[in-house]
Amino acid sequence: MNNGCFIYEDTFLSLLNLIHYLLKNAIKPDKIKNTSYSPNLFDEVVHLTILEEKEIFNKVIQLIGSYATRALYYVFLSNEENKELILYYLLLNGQKYKDKILFHRHLRCVSETIRISNYVIHEVHKYKGFVRFQELENHILYAEVEPVNDVLELIAPHFKKRLKNDYWIIKDVRRNRLSLYDKKNYYLVSGHEFSLETTLKSHEEQKVEELWKAFYKTIGIQERKNERCRMNFMPKKYWKYMLEMEDEL
Amino acid sequence: MELKEKLQILADSAKYDASCSSSGSHRKTTHGIGNVAVSGICHSFSSDGRCISLLKILLTNCCIFDCKYCLNRKNNTIKRAIFTPEEICEVTINFYRRNYIEGLFLSSGIVKSPDYTMELLIETLRLLRKKYHFGGYIHAKAIPGASEKLLKELGSLVDRLSANIELPTENGLKLLAPNKDSSKVHKIMQYVKTNQNNQYVPAGQSTQMIIGATKESDLEIMEKSSHLYDTYHLKRVFYSAYIPVNKDSLLPSLEKPPLKRENRLYQADFLLRFYHFKVKDLLNPDNPNFNILVDPKADWALRHLDEFPKEVTTSSYHDLLKIPGIGVKSAKRIIYSRRVFKLCFDDLKKMGVVLKRAKYFITCGGKYFLDSSLFKKEFIEKNLVLEEFIPEKKEFEQLRLFNE
Repeated sequence: MNNGCFIYEDTFLSLLNLIHYLLKNAIKPDKIKNTSYSPNLFDEVVHLTILEEKEIFNKVIQLIGSYATRALYYVFLSNEENKELILYYLLLNGQKYKDKILFHRHLRCVSETIRISNYVIHEVHKYKGFVRFQELENHILYAEVEPVNDVLELIAPHFKKRLKNDYWIIKDVRRNRLSLYDKKNYYLVSGHEFSLETTLKSHEEQKVEELWKAFYKTIGIQERKNERCRMNFMPKKYWKYMLEMEDEL
Repeated sequence: MELKEKLQILADSAKYDASCSSSGSHRKTTHGIGNVAVSGICHSFSSDGRCISLLKILLTNCCIFDCKYCLNRKNNTIKRAIFTPEEICEVTINFYRRNYIEGLFLSSGIVKSPDYTMELLIETLRLLRKKYHFGGYIHAKAIPGASEKLLKELGSLVDRLSANIELPTENGLKLLAPNKDSSKVHKIMQYVKTNQNNQYVPAGQSTQMIIGATKESDLEIMEKSSHLYDTYHLKRVFYSAYIPVNKDSLLPSLEKPPLKRENRLYQADFLLRFYHFKVKDLLNPDNPNFNILVDPKADWALRHLDEFPKEVTTSSYHDLLKIPGIGVKSAKRIIYSRRVFKLCFDDLKKMGVVLKRAKYFITCGGKYFLDSSLFKKEFIEKNLVLEEFIPEKKEFEQLRLFNE
């Protein structure tokens, strides 16, 4: 059963359970993939029925500490192709190095975990600033984002605290997923259950948008113009959903 | 006048203030709209590459002062405008709800008197906090010369206060800003320092100096900064390259704003605050200005080559910080990691060490990165200069850290 391609049920918990099983039985996987993976000719696909224990989460925290566990979760949310194998090797080495695991940057699984989780954290931070809401006629605030990593659930808590007295929706266009907030809690739902196509902008919206664009144009100092510096901090991939960049696209 | 035109006039008048940080505040909010993020959040970047975090505006650009360098000096024939408190609140809330901004940066020209101006600022911010229940970040300018009572009230409404020192020496200030008196600015700083707590100016105070409008050397500027940090515990001193907006015989005529000099001052400022350097390490009366070709830390290292190369596997944290290409974060990572495994050059790179600069100044496990016969001042200096001035790498930007 060595060198198989192991499939997990798309959730973090299910992945942890699978890795735990593999480690316990000393199985070295060739690949670990979620259910949407389409195997190639040479893959020896293995579906295991593993009893999912919720306890696994605490077990991992006990093993490598909560800080490293959080990094693990960020890697899980990333768009990295071999993220599952990286996590497998991280936990494999975690058995030896325990809560000191992240100090071992000479191990590739550690340096990759740190690199990828930093990338996810970085993207979350960028989106806290770059999300642009527009007000719809029913006063709901609506924003679209297109993050590389699956960060919607990391962005939502920030806006729950910040815009607690507004109804708002953030749509991940890439994954067709929505985060909805009803002034109490936020929910993550699939986009198929929801359509906004017929909803118009509020009558105030246009005026506010024009004010913002005017402010943006005014605040730049001509004598200091620095295209490269702006691009470093605000790469073009964000521009599509940023109102003030509309005219420069 | 239309609101849009007002906004354009009063943002245009405010844009020369360098500060836009929204970090450092731990203030808790329970109800209403908005909160603060201790890391600070940049919401956009303007065409000059500067971060846009706050709605940076003046309450009015009418001013009774005649500061030679300022767009809003009283003798300039420009369009003048004044916001009503409601207008400022409406725009702030509308921008904030759409996540355009992290909060408001409110400054003002001096109308009638310092006290009167300060009262206008307070009225606006009180409305924003108490009626609109705005919990986001507010940075306000304190008006020098206003009464202590008003300073007390303003400080309780904002996250950060600032009063600009404008020029590094008294003489400079007398020459270009005859109506300003630096002792009044120092009085504000002293008051804020004494009273600062979780309810009063929780994100601390900052100030700004204009660079290149007067003849002061970098040494004078850095000594001023160092004095301000030590005496008033300022969070930041901002440096703003002088941009000629007015014609006046007292002002220098510059082709371009001195952006590289500004960049060097920011680098040195960080060395003072986070790298345990003193002004006298970096500059002295015989050598009063920074080397434009090499950054201040590398420049220091080149003048102290006898202390190098340093061995990264054994050097203290303090010593690691002195190495060009190693920052606060990478120095900490080195300290943690070398306890658990044997470092090699490749590991250093993964830890964020900028090897293309550090490689000249370190050994790792006794090995020098290059041929050890190349450890010569001329060779290192030449390569560092080339590194910085390769055209594609050329960037003049204000240094930023998320956590100040």
